[in-house]
Amino acid sequence: MDPFLYLDRDTFVHRLDPRTKMFLLVGAFVLAFLFLNPLYGLVVLAAVLAFGALARSLSNLGRIRFILVAIALVTTALWCIFASGETPLFLFVELEALLYGIGVALRISTTIIAGMIFLSTTRNEEITTGLVKLGIPYRFAFAVSTALRLVPAVATTGATIGQAQRSRGLDLDEGGVLERVRKRVPLLIPVFVSTIRSTNIFSMALESKGFGASPTRSYFLHLEMTRRDAIVLVVVALLLAVALYLRFAGYGGLEGVTR
Amino acid sequence: MVFRLFFGCGEGDDIAEPAISIRGLAYRYRGQEKPALDGVDLDVAEGEFVVVMGPSGAGKSTLCTTLNGLVPHFFRGRIDGEVEIRGRSTRDGKVGEFAREVGLVFQDFEAQLFSTNVALEVAFGPENFSVERGEMKRRVEGVLGRVRLEGFEGRQPATLSGGQKQRLAIASVLAIEPRILCLDEPTTDLDPVGKLGVFEIASELKERDDVTLIVVEHETEETLEADRIVILREGRVVTDRPAREVLRDVELLQESRIMPLGVARFFHEMGLWQGQLPLTPAEGLREFRQRGWQIDAGRHRELVAEDAEREEGYGEALIEVEGLSHRYPNGVVALEGVDLAVRRGEFLAVLGQNGSGKTTLVKHFNGLLEPTEGSVRVEGKTTTEQGIRTLGQTVGYVFQNPDHQIFSDTVSDEVAFGPKIRGLEEAEVEERVKEALAAVGLTGYEEEDPFGLTKGERQRVAVASVLAVRPEVLILDEPTTGLDYAEQRSMMDLVRRLNESGSTIIVVTHTMWVVAEYAHRAAVVRDGRVVLSGVVREVFAEEERLRDASLRPPHIVSLGNALGHTVLSVDEMLRVAGKGER
Repeated sequence: MDPFLYLDRDTFVHRLDPRTKMFLLVGAFVLAFLFLNPLYGLVVLAAVLAFGALARSLSNLGRIRFILVAIALVTTALWCIFASGETPLFLFVELEALLYGIGVALRISTTIIAGMIFLSTTRNEEITTGLVKLGIPYRFAFAVSTALRLVPAVATTGATIGQAQRSRGLDLDEGGVLERVRKRVPLLIPVFVSTIRSTNIFSMALESKGFGASPTRSYFLHLEMTRRDAIVLVVVALLLAVALYLRFAGYGGLEGVTR
Repeated sequence: MVFRLFFGCGEGDDIAEPAISIRGLAYRYRGQEKPALDGVDLDVAEGEFVVVMGPSGAGKSTLCTTLNGLVPHFFRGRIDGEVEIRGRSTRDGKVGEFAREVGLVFQDFEAQLFSTNVALEVAFGPENFSVERGEMKRRVEGVLGRVRLEGFEGRQPATLSGGQKQRLAIASVLAIEPRILCLDEPTTDLDPVGKLGVFEIASELKERDDVTLIVVEHETEETLEADRIVILREGRVVTDRPAREVLRDVELLQESRIMPLGVARFFHEMGLWQGQLPLTPAEGLREFRQRGWQIDAGRHRELVAEDAEREEGYGEALIEVEGLSHRYPNGVVALEGVDLAVRRGEFLAVLGQNGSGKTTLVKHFNGLLEPTEGSVRVEGKTTTEQGIRTLGQTVGYVFQNPDHQIFSDTVSDEVAFGPKIRGLEEAEVEERVKEALAAVGLTGYEEEDPFGLTKGERQRVAVASVLAVRPEVLILDEPTTGLDYAEQRSMMDLVRRLNESGSTIIVVTHTMWVVAEYAHRAAVVRDGRVVLSGVVREVFAEEERLRDASLRPPHIVSLGNALGHTVLSVDEMLRVAGKGER
């Protein structure tokens, strides 16, 4: 199984400097959290998805579709129950509460999707090098990229261990909540043991390849801000400015919700 | 060459400093009672190729980690004595500094590859040493050429085969341009042709670049190229002599729990004295012919007849595979059009190189995977309608890495897990645990902590925990990987006993001598198809076709094939060979 989310494609987005992509990511977060109105939220989501399509990186969303749908449904449902508004819709649910729920769900989904597109189009090493160029110490930048790598690696080990335990008759999908948690013990212990073991070898291998041996370091990846990056940065900055102006002018909010 | 030999022989001469000099080295990990190394003295000359052998727990890996200072700097423990790399003590510098001198490649190659493509993986070392970019590019190119991975620069390491990954791990260390290269069991997880590739590269490095090589290896057939063999036991050097001399010393190897070369052992048993022993199949063939020995065709026919008799003895078909294809969600076709039947009582080996699809195939037998096309029937019913939980009663599956399934505090809890989860009564569970532990020879280990056991013992716990469910069929994925020769033997003897007492056995492996000596039938998988299957003797007669699937029979089988009669072990060879003095 593939321990990385990165999709090796040759697109306009892939060729952007990682620093530009980090700015894009932050920009997407700001846009997502700026507007509560689901209509505006949908526009932001559509823009993010269009960008993902441009990067030919939407296939990775399939990996997390279950989580995305689950989070969206649960968020919407919870706010329907806990928020209240003015216009009754059905039972005890008001229109404003529903819209608010959808708005929050869109925010969360958009941030996750934007993050996924970022990881699908940016190499781990590019993230490290980009962070270093932004003034972050190398060791810290390396730790960030290692953590990003660890998540899918643990998931892969977990899948193997799950197969091994299911072969022994473990049925994970039966019983109540407590029962289900208890049933995961046979998965967790081997996952911990294997992860600790391979992390140990990993750090030995790092030392053996001279990690941190010399105070300075060179980089194989050559990062360069091109005109392409400049254009993208300007466009995104303008977009943000317009969005901020709209928001402060009173658009994109949601009236009549009380939490 | 001449110079190297000269320097290599001069013990303690002051013309050239040895690449590695170890004096009175002892090391004990913190919290361990027994020392891992206990008074090791070893000199390795510049350009020498030294193979280190020895049983599990002899201190081989610890010795490797002393070479670049991981011991004592990385591990906690108590060190005595001195390790000098080209005159400099490893106590006097950081691991990173010695990384320039000594390249260390670990056994577990998966855990040491972490980059998103091959070129970046190789560049990581030079980056750490601030090598300038142009030079770095040159090195990446040169090193990839040396390990035969040209054109793979942009590939993701995860998509490479086992052999390619191991070669990449070597390349990533070579890019730092160390003068000494230490490989810790580089071929353990590789198929025979992958193994050969690693050793070819090692020899080339030695010849071309005069790199000093220290290789830990447990398969004797791979050590023929070495200059010297060092045998460790319980942290001490027990033998340190020229390689061919050690390989001819059949009794010494057997005592040291190392598998002797098949050809050497055969001629040794035939009464040749040590100095005359041929080592390779080619040398053996020449010797055999020169001495005018013959294969007794009549006795060989007996062997074939015994195979046929065994074939008759099997029961009905337990597992029937028809037109099986499997496509993974990402579109990769792992299996295509596989037909296979396993009868009750068989001992089947599924062979193939890393990534050939052999594990995918057997995962269909217990319902872990479902066919994309075709069908798999177990006891007449398709696996899809039975489901994994029901199938688990009939088909037990022992995974390759015991650490992927062990989680209990005691051995008996671990073994009891399967029966308990199937709702058996306590008395019955106890009975099953007792029976399973007895079967794997772990009676008396009930209250032990499984994590404190050796790998071989943990492997047995894993087998016992599957046996406790009393399955008809037992699938073992790579049951001998990571075990030393004695442990491999005892593991396979155990599997054979289970087979003789009625279990149907399916072993997935690429350890060829295990197949030759233990399995009855073999199925060779290549690129998702079964390209060759039948009685092991017939399959191993087809050396060419095996080689196409990256497999190579053991030396003794090759010798037999060259003599026109396939034998599967040294004992069979002894049975059919006659000195032919009529």
